Amino acid sequence: MRLPKFEYFEPETLEEALRLLAEWRERVCVLAGGTDVLVKMRNGRLKPGAVIALERISSLNGIGFDLRKGLTIGAGAKLSDVTSHPDILRYYPAIARAARVMANVQVRNMGTIGGNLCNAAPSAENAPPLMALGAVVTAASLEEERRITLDDFFRGPGLTAMKPEEIMTSIFVPTPPANSGASYQRISARCGVDIAAVSVGAMIMIEDTVCREVRIALGAVAPVPMRALSAEAFLKEKVWSEEFLREAARISADESRPISDVRASLEFRKQMVAVMTQRALEEAYGRAIKR
Amino acid sequence: MESRFKIVGQDVPRTDAEVKARGKALYTDDMKLPGMLHGQILRSPLAHARIKHIDTRRALGLPGVKAVITGQDTPKIKYGNWRLFPDTQDEYPLAVDKVRFIGDEVAAVAAIDRDTAEEAMELIEVEYEELPAVFDVDLSIKPGAPVIHDYCPTNISVNRKIKYGDVEKGFAESDYVREDIFNTHSVSHAYLEPCSALAQVDLDGRITLWTSTQVPYIVQCLLASTLNMRENDIRVIKPFVGGGFGGKMELRAWEFCAAFLARQTGCPVKFTLTREEEFITGRRRHPMKIYSKVGFRKDGTLVAKDLKIQLDGGAYNAMGPTATFLCGNFGAMLYRYPNYRFHGEHIYTNKPPASAMRGFGAPQSLYATEIQMNMAAEELGIDPIDLRLKNAQVSGDEIPDVATISSSGFIDCIKAVAEMSDWKEKRKSLPAGRGIGIGCYSFISGGVFNWFNTQYPFSAAEVRVFSDGTAHLLTMASDIGQGSDTVLKQILAEELGLKMGDIRMTSADTSMTPQADLGSWGSRVTLMAGNAVIDAAKKIKEPLFGAVSARFNLNVIHDIECVNGRVQSKSRPDYGLTFGEAVAMVQKANRGEPLVARGSYTPRGKGLVTPAFGFGAQVAEVDVDKETGLVEVKHMWTAHDCGTVINPRSVEGQLAGSIQMGLGYALSEQFVMDGGKTLNTNFVDYKMPTASDMPPSELFHVETYEPEGPMGAKEAGEGLASPTAPAISDAVYHATGYRCMDLPITPEKILRNLKKNK
Ligand SMILES: Cc1cc2nc3c(=O)[nH]c(=O)nc-3n(C[C@H](O)[C@H](O)[C@H](O)COP(=O)(O)OP(=O)(O)OC[C@H]3O[C@@H](n4cnc5c(N)ncnc54)[C@H](O)[C@@H]3O)c2cc1C
Repeated sequence: MRLPKFEYFEPETLEEALRLLAEWRERVCVLAGGTDVLVKMRNGRLKPGAVIALERISSLNGIGFDLRKGLTIGAGAKLSDVTSHPDILRYYPAIARAARVMANVQVRNMGTIGGNLCNAAPSAENAPPLMALGAVVTAASLEEERRITLDDFFRGPGLTAMKPEEIMTSIFVPTPPANSGASYQRISARCGVDIAAVSVGAMIMIEDTVCREVRIALGAVAPVPMRALSAEAFLKEKVWSEEFLREAARISADESRPISDVRASLEFRKQMVAVMTQRALEEAYGRAIKR
Repeated sequence: MESRFKIVGQDVPRTDAEVKARGKALYTDDMKLPGMLHGQILRSPLAHARIKHIDTRRALGLPGVKAVITGQDTPKIKYGNWRLFPDTQDEYPLAVDKVRFIGDEVAAVAAIDRDTAEEAMELIEVEYEELPAVFDVDLSIKPGAPVIHDYCPTNISVNRKIKYGDVEKGFAESDYVREDIFNTHSVSHAYLEPCSALAQVDLDGRITLWTSTQVPYIVQCLLASTLNMRENDIRVIKPFVGGGFGGKMELRAWEFCAAFLARQTGCPVKFTLTREEEFITGRRRHPMKIYSKVGFRKDGTLVAKDLKIQLDGGAYNAMGPTATFLCGNFGAMLYRYPNYRFHGEHIYTNKPPASAMRGFGAPQSLYATEIQMNMAAEELGIDPIDLRLKNAQVSGDEIPDVATISSSGFIDCIKAVAEMSDWKEKRKSLPAGRGIGIGCYSFISGGVFNWFNTQYPFSAAEVRVFSDGTAHLLTMASDIGQGSDTVLKQILAEELGLKMGDIRMTSADTSMTPQADLGSWGSRVTLMAGNAVIDAAKKIKEPLFGAVSARFNLNVIHDIECVNGRVQSKSRPDYGLTFGEAVAMVQKANRGEPLVARGSYTPRGKGLVTPAFGFGAQVAEVDVDKETGLVEVKHMWTAHDCGTVINPRSVEGQLAGSIQMGLGYALSEQFVMDGGKTLNTNFVDYKMPTASDMPPSELFHVETYEPEGPMGAKEAGEGLASPTAPAISDAVYHATGYRCMDLPITPEKILRNLKKNK
């Protein structure tokens, strides 16, 4: 369909971008890789008066790692950069995996991690592992810079805690604690180019076979990516065992709230939440006891 | 054994490979003509409704809009491929009185650009009176169901019955009889090039249409009849085509609209469908409900088969009648059935029309045949391979009313595939969750039944040869990506002893290439157009041989041949001329007349179905994740008999493509429908397998020589579309105990069944 008429800006600094954003308010749309925005504009679901492209703002694109603090991914970092960054591969394999299994080469070369989060699809691939690892995003406006935990970030399909005048600048992920491991698991009907029907991110910290910390995040099974808090509470402070693992998986299926749609039925999704949770916890556990 | 051929059977690179790999091949949508307008079609949002009123004034008022047409503006002439039975021609290019499915064509616009045409769509006001709709064959044939076409109050548009032997007696004499019902689903052709058509009118009012089609000749004829013009006033040219698989083998509304609007506006007009339009309204594979009853003796010998198939045809006949007929034939192919009965019904529903799709009914009916064979094998306590060997059709077998099978390598195929896959061992010893399964096929090499009622030969070729040692091959045969241009060139090069590079080719242009060719479908081109090329080449060779004979004063008993660019005596190659010299001599003898010959092929005395049968067997090995129900195909083994392999790489390409489509058909592809509405209209949600889903695969050619085929060749294109789904399905059964009676095999079905078996 015809792209509606719109103004197009390519600011080179964040400040300039924020000023434009404040100027145009609701009628503006931020463009990162455009792999969600342009699809929506083409089929008429999005008709902005102005588009602000972020690509030239180099301060948004970096990836930095400090072993004592953690990982900072620029909101504008390409998915392909996330999947190939040596520190991410080494310390955050679950994050690398989520960005690697999503979409296809072309989309990963265009699309950004910030765009994936800001688009706020229930199935947003990067959300579960980032939530499981306790990620915090930074949003900037002309007035302030604030930090929002990813747990508080998603408000509904396509809705986030960010204000219209804000731009996401970065995503911070603390250094995983010692004796911890994380995993990302997803299910879809085909190997390549597929949206996950169910996805799970999990992080677990083990001390003397006891689960001291557990975080489980579920994707595509509720209006927003969600934490499986009951399953986490169940497993916390328990001695790791097959039986508890299965029970935790069952509980997380119970607390998921999927729908039936063209990709999968409600019943299948619930079943898969259990399977994917179990596999994610198993892999996370395996990584935890290795470290 | 040294091949008797020089070019046939060689890995000759495809003539279109390089230009496609470079992205330089021109498809219809790549073409732009000066002053060209862009067309767009307005489609029905309702599954069944009467059109009460259409107001196009606002759309016409939009700047940039040059014309808007509705069915009322057109000659209102129905069309359909079954010209032999005009009753079955049930479609108007634009709806006249009623719409019958969501996507039915209602109006068309031509505007200065695509965006304007799209905008105009929204300004056309259509007042509908919604009618009750029906989406299910069982409901559609119930008394009192909504009547979809007035001419057909039962909603059953085709009834086909076949019978030979005595089925009841056969069952009475059987030791083991089983009855099963299978349901198969609809899938998309999903060719990579969406349909596109560009029409231009010349100063005399004649029309040239470039279109992405498998059947230029059929489009020419039906476009002429729907426009009320003479056939010769329509020229159809097929540029590069990005796949068809049966989805581009009819005249389609946008081809008509492009021509009609070009005539009305005086400007060239182009229509190109979007992928969404293709998914929402494109033709698709017939869903079928298949009831099959088979009887065996204790030792596994087949005695009788009773087959009833209901095809869900959707809103129009399209190629459904042919699929209905063929299902009856496929039901009696592959194995020997001494007693056989078939009843096929083609039923209208208010869904997008189904039509021909790679295999033309065979993937559905053979799914039932093959799964049922395996079920019977299990209960009879016979290995599925042995049961097949016992009943396999062999050369010389006669299928009553159909044909005598002139060549069959089926038994060798079964044996080869069993050995390649280590069947006996794996069937016994694979661990739980792993499985191996078999599926087989037989397929036609083109059809005999002249439903289009053409007055021309089924295929034709013209060969012109030149004194510079080159040749020009003209044929209406359509290369739609399957490689017929390459194969036909190979056949001509072989016959004339020339190199591929010596042959210029013009194909698929209805005003330049010889009448006629019925198109690329039914795996007919290699055999039929190949035979036409050979026929023409033989007529070229006669005078060349005469020239050489005269020049060297050869004894009449000399055998002369065309080989290595020469025309020479077989026993005394020094008595010979270069090809070009020989051509020059013939021309001289004929006072300058160019040396040109026409050849043709029409199957005669070959029964009612096909001149030749291809065969094959395939084994799949799968791994089933018992927690997720996901199936991973680990390996495929295929052994097939296509007669002489003319181009090995093309055959491998056909196999790879077939496995990819079979994988999707078995496991992941389906239309998610809400009544008559298609919900998954993009490639993210329509789950066609990708390159990374493809399993490793091995292929073995069983060489036979088909006497009716060109240099012994027969079909290699569509038969392979059938075995993959049953092979995978049988492997899933072997792995999990889940027997799929209704395709596709989804993870959810597998899990439900695993639970039940616990
Ligand atoms: C073929 C295909 C396959 C896909 N497969 C998957 C998949 O498997 N899994 C998956 O999760 N997604 C998938 N997607 C969706 C999409 O590619 C991802 O969501 C991608 O990460 C979006 O990033 P982007 O940079 O292209 O975002 P854009 O399209 O540029 O933006 C997306 C949204 O975020 C906003 N935005 C972007 N950056 C910022 C910022 N810094 N601050 C504030 N707002 C911002 C935009 O305004 C817009 O609302 C697929 C898309 C396509 C086309």
